[in-house]
Amino acid sequence: MTTFPTDYLGRVFYLFENFGESFIRGAGVTLAIAVISTIIGCIIGFAVGIVQTVPTDKSENKIKWFFMCIVRFFLNAYVELFRGTPMMAQAMFIYFGAAQVFNIHMNMWQVAIFIVSINTGAYMAETVRGGILSIDLGQTEGAKAIGMTHVQLMLYVILPQAFRNIIPQIGNNLIINIKDTCVLSVIGVVELFFTTKGIAGAYYTYFESFTIALIIYFIMTFTCSKILRRIEDKLDGNDNYDLATTDTLAHTSGLYKYREKNPNTVGNLNLDTRDGGR
Amino acid sequence: MGETILQIKHLSKSFGSHAVLKDIDFSVNKGDVTCIIGASGSGKSTLLRCINLLEKPTSGEIVFHGDNILAGKIDPASYRSKVGMVFQSFNLFNNLTVLKNCMIGLTKVLKKSQAEAEQAALFYLNKVEMGPFINAKPKQLSGGQKQRVAIARALALEPEVLLFDEPTSALDPQMVGEVLTVMRNLATEGLTMIVVTHEMAFARDVSNRVVFMSDGVICEEGSPEELFNNPKNDRTVEFLSRFRQK
Repeated sequence: MTTFPTDYLGRVFYLFENFGESFIRGAGVTLAIAVISTIIGCIIGFAVGIVQTVPTDKSENKIKWFFMCIVRFFLNAYVELFRGTPMMAQAMFIYFGAAQVFNIHMNMWQVAIFIVSINTGAYMAETVRGGILSIDLGQTEGAKAIGMTHVQLMLYVILPQAFRNIIPQIGNNLIINIKDTCVLSVIGVVELFFTTKGIAGAYYTYFESFTIALIIYFIMTFTCSKILRRIEDKLDGNDNYDLATTDTLAHTSGLYKYREKNPNTVGNLNLDTRDGGR
Repeated sequence: MGETILQIKHLSKSFGSHAVLKDIDFSVNKGDVTCIIGASGSGKSTLLRCINLLEKPTSGEIVFHGDNILAGKIDPASYRSKVGMVFQSFNLFNNLTVLKNCMIGLTKVLKKSQAEAEQAALFYLNKVEMGPFINAKPKQLSGGQKQRVAIARALALEPEVLLFDEPTSALDPQMVGEVLTVMRNLATEGLTMIVVTHEMAFARDVSNRVVFMSDGVICEEGSPEELFNNPKNDRTVEFLSRFRQK
């Protein structure tokens, strides 16, 4: 082993050289928990949000109305309880509490993903509800007027648009989850924070170790936010559209996307994205 | 006169203690073009929305081919697919292209095949001269174009009655013209229509029956000639006075 460097940068590189693999493995655990939990959380959020927006009319169907009231009470309780208490305390409560009182010894991974998913779900439920409410009522009426049922209009009209509108919030949750998985270190999940703490303690190099950890955290969150922005752009689709006509006079309206281009000149490529559209 | 398709009997609607429609009675025969005119707030749109069950009437009956649809036996969704509606604010689906907007009712509600639906959608889009725009999204269209797509979307389901709720009120004069032309053509083809409108010339020239509403009641109804040339009710006279001076 080489001698321990005396300068700050030297120590940072030394630590990364020797413990790089541990850092990366910790980051991998962090990312895996965050991504899986965000996906599960979104599914929970969509389920809860959709149920919350089912229209109920007391005068129409009393049994359905009563049933929905009970379901909504439990869903509200879930959202408020998990949103209103710290994830760290929940982790301790569930992981150690279950083992102590009920003698249930859960796998650390299961607990980690469970805790983060259920918290993300609680936040996403309100986000999805907001996303659904953000779609103007006119489209709902338009769908009803052509005979669509509530399920159909949700599936084909409202949810695709609501989903697009809440992607920024999904991105927020993913980034928050990447950062907040570090609270799971209290139940011994070996993610990036836990790993870093170990390395820092062993060499007494808190400043240097956490420099590396922070850089890795930032790279993960920044990459995720960029990827989500790309997905948003993809979902928005093209600004242009082609007229389905052979009438060339129609093309002068500026709506036509010019397809002909010389494959030898790369410079023309930019032109067709700028032309047309309104 | 064709057979009676739709009969409204003693229809009332209140929002809380505010009575918007009071004991409305009228019927629509096959091939009728009924225009409902009247001041804003007189209950015209609410009446139309009640007919399509977008508002639940407080009391009364809506009889469609002899069945009272308010009795609860008939599924509102299947009834609505036979009574189309065109809105003032177009209400196209923003996430779908023009073609998909017109196809979705056919594939999802009437369960037709993709090919069949596409054929029907294209037929009606061409009818309203929106054929070239099948790949566009609603946000890329002008108001008049959107309304014509909305008409094609409603027509694609081949409804027995088509309801128009102030279809031209959100449009500029030129676009009003293009939409009214489409509606005029539909009327000559014999489509049964109920049109809530402020376009008096359209009501006079195209409809075969005009209903004048005021304060939630039908004040007067009759042929356009009767109503426009020789109105009997004082409120009708007053409402039409400005139009008749022209």
